[in-house]
Amino acid sequence: MNVAVMKTKAEQAISENFEAVAEKLPGSEAVKARRAEAIGAFSGLGLPHRRIEEWKYTDIRANVKEIFPSAIHDAARITIAELIVALGPLAHVDAHRIVFVNGHHRFELGDLANAEGFKVAALGEILASASEDVSAALATTPEGGDAVEALNTAFMTDGAVVTVAEGVTVAKPLMIVFVRAGAHAHSVTVRNSLMVGKNASADVIEAHVVLPGASADAQLNTLTEVTVAKGAMLIHAKVAVDDGKALHLSNCDVTLDADATYRSFQFSTGLGLARNGLNVIFEGEGSKIDLSGAYLARHSEHIDTTLVVDHAVPRCESRELFKGVLDGHGRGVFQGKIIVRPDAQKTDGKQMSQALMLSEDAEFDSKPELEIYADDVVCGHGTTVAELDADLLFYCRSRGIPEKEARALMIESFIGEAIEKVDNEQLRDALAAYAMQWLGRSVRG
Amino acid sequence: MLEIKNLHVKLADEDRMILKGLSLNVPKGEVHAIMGPNGSGKSTLAYVLAGRDGYEVTDGDILWNGESIIDMEPDERAAKGVFLAFQYPMEIPGVAGLTFLRTALNSVRKKRGEAELTTPAFMKLVKEKGQKLNIDIEMLKRPVNVGFSGGEKKRSEILQMALLEPTLCVLDETDSGLDIDALRIVSEGVNALRDKDRAFVVITHYQRLLNYIVPDKVHVLADGRIQKTGGKELALELEKSGYAEYTHKAA
Repeated sequence: MNVAVMKTKAEQAISENFEAVAEKLPGSEAVKARRAEAIGAFSGLGLPHRRIEEWKYTDIRANVKEIFPSAIHDAARITIAELIVALGPLAHVDAHRIVFVNGHHRFELGDLANAEGFKVAALGEILASASEDVSAALATTPEGGDAVEALNTAFMTDGAVVTVAEGVTVAKPLMIVFVRAGAHAHSVTVRNSLMVGKNASADVIEAHVVLPGASADAQLNTLTEVTVAKGAMLIHAKVAVDDGKALHLSNCDVTLDADATYRSFQFSTGLGLARNGLNVIFEGEGSKIDLSGAYLARHSEHIDTTLVVDHAVPRCESRELFKGVLDGHGRGVFQGKIIVRPDAQKTDGKQMSQALMLSEDAEFDSKPELEIYADDVVCGHGTTVAELDADLLFYCRSRGIPEKEARALMIESFIGEAIEKVDNEQLRDALAAYAMQWLGRSVRG
Repeated sequence: MLEIKNLHVKLADEDRMILKGLSLNVPKGEVHAIMGPNGSGKSTLAYVLAGRDGYEVTDGDILWNGESIIDMEPDERAAKGVFLAFQYPMEIPGVAGLTFLRTALNSVRKKRGEAELTTPAFMKLVKEKGQKLNIDIEMLKRPVNVGFSGGEKKRSEILQMALLEPTLCVLDETDSGLDIDALRIVSEGVNALRDKDRAFVVITHYQRLLNYIVPDKVHVLADGRIQKTGGKELALELEKSGYAEYTHKAA
């Protein structure tokens, strides 16, 4: 244990922060007890650092010097017009919305009136209501050994608790919007729960966006727990777009029953230091997942994607494709662990991670890990790192396309191959628009 | 008119000279074939005309319509009317053919001081030009050249040429990898573009292509220089006797 290790200033600030806000955080006595337990666990663990294998390339302890105060409920007010501005290209995606500002539910900004098929509640209200649901919401609290998830339990203020009942197919997606606003440095902690019942089918978009003018100093800890029941399908996109400095610690823990399908897409840009953790456990046979993502980093931005896919049962299929574009001193980290347990025969797993380097100072670290204990499986992984192809660039330019535009076209083509994985056409267009905006500033400019 | 004057070219990172004083004039309205053995500098000439990186012009000049182009970027040359049909057209995964064509066409139109085409006008133009080359719109919705056969790639090159309306067309080994049917379609596409304002440089190893695209003049390139110039009958002669005479002379 690290108990004897000296605490950093940030770790001390976290403990002090907890003392200061504990009474104001939503929840009954039982919830308070869970929070205290979690902060105790965190004290033992400290912030993740490079000597922990899973955090080798993303040293939170060394890079996070300061902890910002938890965002205050009353400061978190924005107008619908501001929400639309913050959503940017995502505003054009037709979806029901539940909206949180600085980690607090804003009923008046949402649009859930006709969200047929979805049962949507705010976690903050559930925690405060001291009802039976509270224990349900916390029963699966998964932070065992993970400091970031422990902090999530300790500080979580709100989030969406979404249920899709057995057999229900929901046509229109639900967008869970987290807006960050306000001129003061702040930290926000949210948690979502997505539960898709037997043979049900749903589409959920989780969006983390920023209102222009918000303080650049921001820290977010978000955790989404997903359970997909037998024969059910969930399409889950997570979009995180910020203005270049924010700390973004994200986890998504997924459990699939038999014959279930989970399709995930993670899009990240403008994040100062980001960790996108995605943990999937197959608990029933014949299920399929497709985890994909695209990220763009420049300046000193750092985007880490860490996957753990646990094939605990036979006949499941996993597909992963992640693509990153790195400019300036931007750094991309990809860690993809696929575990195939001894019983998990007929597992079919394929993983690909690709990075496009636009600068000599960019860095990409890729660590695929296959732990295979079964003998009748098909598993593969690949990593590619490349610069823009000079021959291709010449081909485009010989057709009259100016260099900057040719470069942008090729970067679009690279990232476009990942964005193509997004099922929802409007969302695909929105992500392509974000990529274009990024190129406008970084390459075409 | 294309005027190549005493052109000396070497690879940027090697000392060996590839073109050693090549001089050539191609007036507008004419088709000139450049024939020669492997390693004679044919592809280098094509790339240097189009402005590819990696070559260094150590002496001489290239004038197109009286203006030196050797210091121009490839896209500037394209705007001035230079077009190179590649021996091995590139694949661009993730970029739809239509997007690529439209970006290219509007880029050159902008530089030529013409208005960008609207979507309907562009689509109409592509349909019309594509039809003649047996290229339908569905094919162009796919990523550029990805999964195309050799013949499809060459037809796609000629479609780009037809759309960009260059005035100096350089064809690098356009016949390589083509069967007779594809060769005919491609050649018809090229012949349809022949007119009094356009000059063609057709680079080829074999005479076969010149049965379809009949040249006004044939030049033999060997050891980095034009060794002989003649009419279309020179190609037939070469087909019979080979290049031995010229490589020998060069040595």
